[in-house]
Amino acid sequence: MSVNAVEQAVAAPRRASLQLVHDVQQLLYREARLLDEQRYDDWFELMEDDFRLWIPVPQSRYRRDGQGIYEPRRMAHFDDSLSELKLRASRWKETTAWSEDPPTRHVHYVTNIEVEPAEAAAEWLVHSVVISLRNRNEDEENWLGGRREDVIRETAAGLKLAGRKVFVTQSVLMAKNFNTFL
Amino acid sequence: MADILQAKPAPPAATLDYHRLVDVENGWIDRRIFWDEGIYQLELERIFARCWVFVGHESQFAAPGDFVTTYIGQDAVIAAKDRQGAINVFLNSCSHRGNRVCFAEAGNTRRFTCNFHGWAFGLDGGLLGVHEEEQYSACATFDKSKLGLHRARVGIYKGLVFATFDAEAPSLDEYLGDYRYYLDVLLDNDASGTEFIEGNVKSRLGCNWKFAAENFVGDAYHAGWTHASAAAAIFKKDVKVNIERSYQANVNGHGTEFGLDLIGNAMGLAEPEVVEYLKENEARFAERLGKLRSRMVGAMSSSNVFPNLAYLTGFNTWRTWTPKGPHEIELHTWVLVNKDMPERLKEAYRRGVSRTFSPTGMFESDDGENWEHCTRSNAGVVTRRQKLHYGLGMDSRMEHEEFPGAVHRVQLNDANQRAFYRRWADLMSAASWADVSDRSGATR
Ligand code: FES
Ligand SMILES: [Fe+2]
Repeated sequence: MSVNAVEQAVAAPRRASLQLVHDVQQLLYREARLLDEQRYDDWFELMEDDFRLWIPVPQSRYRRDGQGIYEPRRMAHFDDSLSELKLRASRWKETTAWSEDPPTRHVHYVTNIEVEPAEAAAEWLVHSVVISLRNRNEDEENWLGGRREDVIRETAAGLKLAGRKVFVTQSVLMAKNFNTFL
Repeated sequence: MADILQAKPAPPAATLDYHRLVDVENGWIDRRIFWDEGIYQLELERIFARCWVFVGHESQFAAPGDFVTTYIGQDAVIAAKDRQGAINVFLNSCSHRGNRVCFAEAGNTRRFTCNFHGWAFGLDGGLLGVHEEEQYSACATFDKSKLGLHRARVGIYKGLVFATFDAEAPSLDEYLGDYRYYLDVLLDNDASGTEFIEGNVKSRLGCNWKFAAENFVGDAYHAGWTHASAAAAIFKKDVKVNIERSYQANVNGHGTEFGLDLIGNAMGLAEPEVVEYLKENEARFAERLGKLRSRMVGAMSSSNVFPNLAYLTGFNTWRTWTPKGPHEIELHTWVLVNKDMPERLKEAYRRGVSRTFSPTGMFESDDGENWEHCTRSNAGVVTRRQKLHYGLGMDSRMEHEEFPGAVHRVQLNDANQRAFYRRWADLMSAASWADVSDRSGATR
């Protein structure tokens, strides 16, 4: 087993077409821009109702250890349903969200996109890498990178995000907060 | 010219008058205590290398060989459970050349072997063996029994594991003293005892550790303003403190500010099951804790155990503020639950704390911003000369028939913060534990 493997892709005979890969890519880029522009209501429109976001806190453990770097039972940065994510984002709309005013300046950079068949017929397992750059106030700067595993579903309304796991690499978050989604 | 080059160094921090820097009688604090490197170094000596510092929860040491790595001040330590079932705490720095011995933050092991030359240490820190040991046969100073990793004293209070490097420190029970009455609100409301949910959240903040500690020991005042946006999103209304039935209490620098509203904090989790659990079990809590304390189990409250262990009833988050220099801390956040709570409820706490009191949390993200800028502003020399006001509630001391320690009326009060800083000044001024005053229930 490789050190970072959390879930192996299920080998299935389907292959993503060039068109699908392009559409997935565009979806992820649009999504990143919506996060940069803090347009959370529009961002939530890209999700299916059963969407869940899981961003576990990595633990530094020896290779011989029975437990992995990321484990579902442990404390997580996010382990939320769509409605819980909406609750979090609703705070940012309050005029009293002091630490968001002046706003944080965001860049979400998405790369290394791979589209693989998922188990369900209309779903694709999409790997990508996301890097978040945040700057705020005069000189505050925070970088955070993670490997994503998304489930993207083909629906009547086009491609939608049905689930996301993000495996960040910082075990100690080198920032006072984590005021964005990845 | 020579005079300039040989300008007199600033007086060593040990000679400063800490009871003047921290003027609790009048409620003023000198900002240098949040900035000065010399003062910080003395804190490492006189606060962190001297007090009982939290290192973990017993539930993290279920099996022999289970260990965690953590810090007492800036001293890296390993806490490990041995074959006899004892939890040992010792320095995580090799007695040979000083390399860090254990790099994992948690796990299970039989020994800790240093990467540099292969010296191997046991679960009690003792030196078990070294690589090419025969080469040392003629070495007169090589005595394995004297080359173990330096050990701390360990004390356990109802699941919480503390350690101290000071041989003269009072026992842990004495150190916590009457504050145990308040700790029991979370540690002993249920016969099954408590456990930590696995893992924690770790983050770095650019603030002095005392701004975090004072915030939890007694700053109920900030909650309504700082956290207005989280309160509006979760409660859909402002949060008001009950002036009639809310208090601050402190014992030797430990302190808690609290209401008797049973669910005030717990409501913030936005997990209805948690609130139901508290309401359904109020009578059961009262059997163990008495009527008054049963009303504190999920109440609007915050607390800090001197120096750097904090917790919130209702949210059940426990956290440490570990200093990484005068202007930086590492925050570790855990979740404490009763062992016999149903799994669903433990899940509700785990996910609820992430949503509220973690770096992604709706409450906590505003706190860090404040503490960082309270610290950073002191880079200015003129700024640093301006004293800070800690004068709220000077005449609020009261006697209470049940609550131990120094009790004050009304949560909105600087009383606990003054008590925290007085304890801090006592320790900073004292050459040894024998010189540290008793502040278990002193006035104001
Ligand atoms: S420094 Fe640890 S064995 Fe040499
Ligand atoms: Fe706060």
